[in-house]
Amino acid sequence: MTVEVSYRTKLKQLKTREIKKEATNVLEGPDSEHTVLQRTTEDIQGGKPLNPELVQAVSAVASSLPLNKKQTESELLAQLRRHEETTDKQKKGGLLKIRNVISEMAVKRQSPAQRGVRISSRISLRVDEDDQRIKPERLSPQSFDYRRSLKVGRRLNIFTKASKETENALKTVSSPTIWDLEFAKEIAAVTAQPPRNGFEEMIQWTKEGILWEFPIDNEAGMEDDAEFHEHIFLEKHLKDFPKQGPIRHFMELVICGLSKNPYLSVKQKIEHIEWFQNYFEEKKELLQEI
Amino acid sequence: MEGAVCCWSRRLPGRPVLPSPCTRQVRSYYVDWRMLRDVKRRKLAYEYADERLRINAIRKNTILPKELQEVADKEIADLPRDSCPVRIRNRCVLTSRPRGVKRRWRLSRIVFRHFADHAQMSGVQRAMW
Repeated sequence: MTVEVSYRTKLKQLKTREIKKEATNVLEGPDSEHTVLQRTTEDIQGGKPLNPELVQAVSAVASSLPLNKKQTESELLAQLRRHEETTDKQKKGGLLKIRNVISEMAVKRQSPAQRGVRISSRISLRVDEDDQRIKPERLSPQSFDYRRSLKVGRRLNIFTKASKETENALKTVSSPTIWDLEFAKEIAAVTAQPPRNGFEEMIQWTKEGILWEFPIDNEAGMEDDAEFHEHIFLEKHLKDFPKQGPIRHFMELVICGLSKNPYLSVKQKIEHIEWFQNYFEEKKELLQEI
Repeated sequence: MEGAVCCWSRRLPGRPVLPSPCTRQVRSYYVDWRMLRDVKRRKLAYEYADERLRINAIRKNTILPKELQEVADKEIADLPRDSCPVRIRNRCVLTSRPRGVKRRWRLSRIVFRHFADHAQMSGVQRAMW
């Protein structure tokens, strides 16, 4: 306990010292040009946008140097920004990590109940039915931390997340090999346990198609998306036929019969008519002889 | 039944069984060769059903010229013989018996009686009135 407290105070002192250092550096900046040049590289910025005083200092430096003023100014500013970013990251990261780690740690205090359990477990000899000594059950780490769970608390950011690119690369499979298929089949065979009761048996049968689905749907398996007029008015399919003669008469009868047929789909009816079309076209020579 | 005796000498009529995850007992052979032939006839009849219907529609006509109908006659005769539905015989599913088969259960009278007496036919009871 004493160790913790001292460490915490140390950190606090460190931080205050750094803040003081910052303030002093900022104040001394615009006074001398050369010292500023040294200190701009050492300075640690508090906020994200560059301190206006530092910017002033940079412009002063640029003006003093004999080379291209604007270029030097821009370069200096860029360097400042980069430095600022890195120092920010380091500072925040380091402090945060240690802080978080320490904050999560707390002194372990045994409750009297637990103490009693421990003592009793040591003393007693738990004997099984087969007269074998049982070890006291090792609770899982989750259940043992009765005060806190795994997901509660601030993130420590000790581990970095796996990049998403590698995940995607792993997921892409070129093509399922025979071994993969066999493995999948094996898994399916192993996981397909025999039904424990009549309900599961019926479920299995329904999936296989042996049993119908209840309540019974009269149109199960029938996927007729066509309207009634497509079934009945089939004259438009008779365009290629001669308009007079016995063939036309015959085809009109065919269409009359098809329109009254509820069992065929529209596609099947069209196929029917097309078959007749082909047949009569093949027999055209014969028909012309007659 | 006599046919079954001479069948033992030859191999049983098999059927290619596709690998399926079915765990129940599956009958993988037909009872005898006659049943197999019947199965082939049914398959062919299903394949040629549409064509036969259409050619017959041309034949059984009073409107179309007779020459056309004669040509249609020849065409239908050219189709494979097993494609006509008349050659299908409703045999018993379990014993392949050609006679005494009840259509509703597709079983011969002997097998039907056997199962009914063992109470394995749902809703079938001995008649008594």
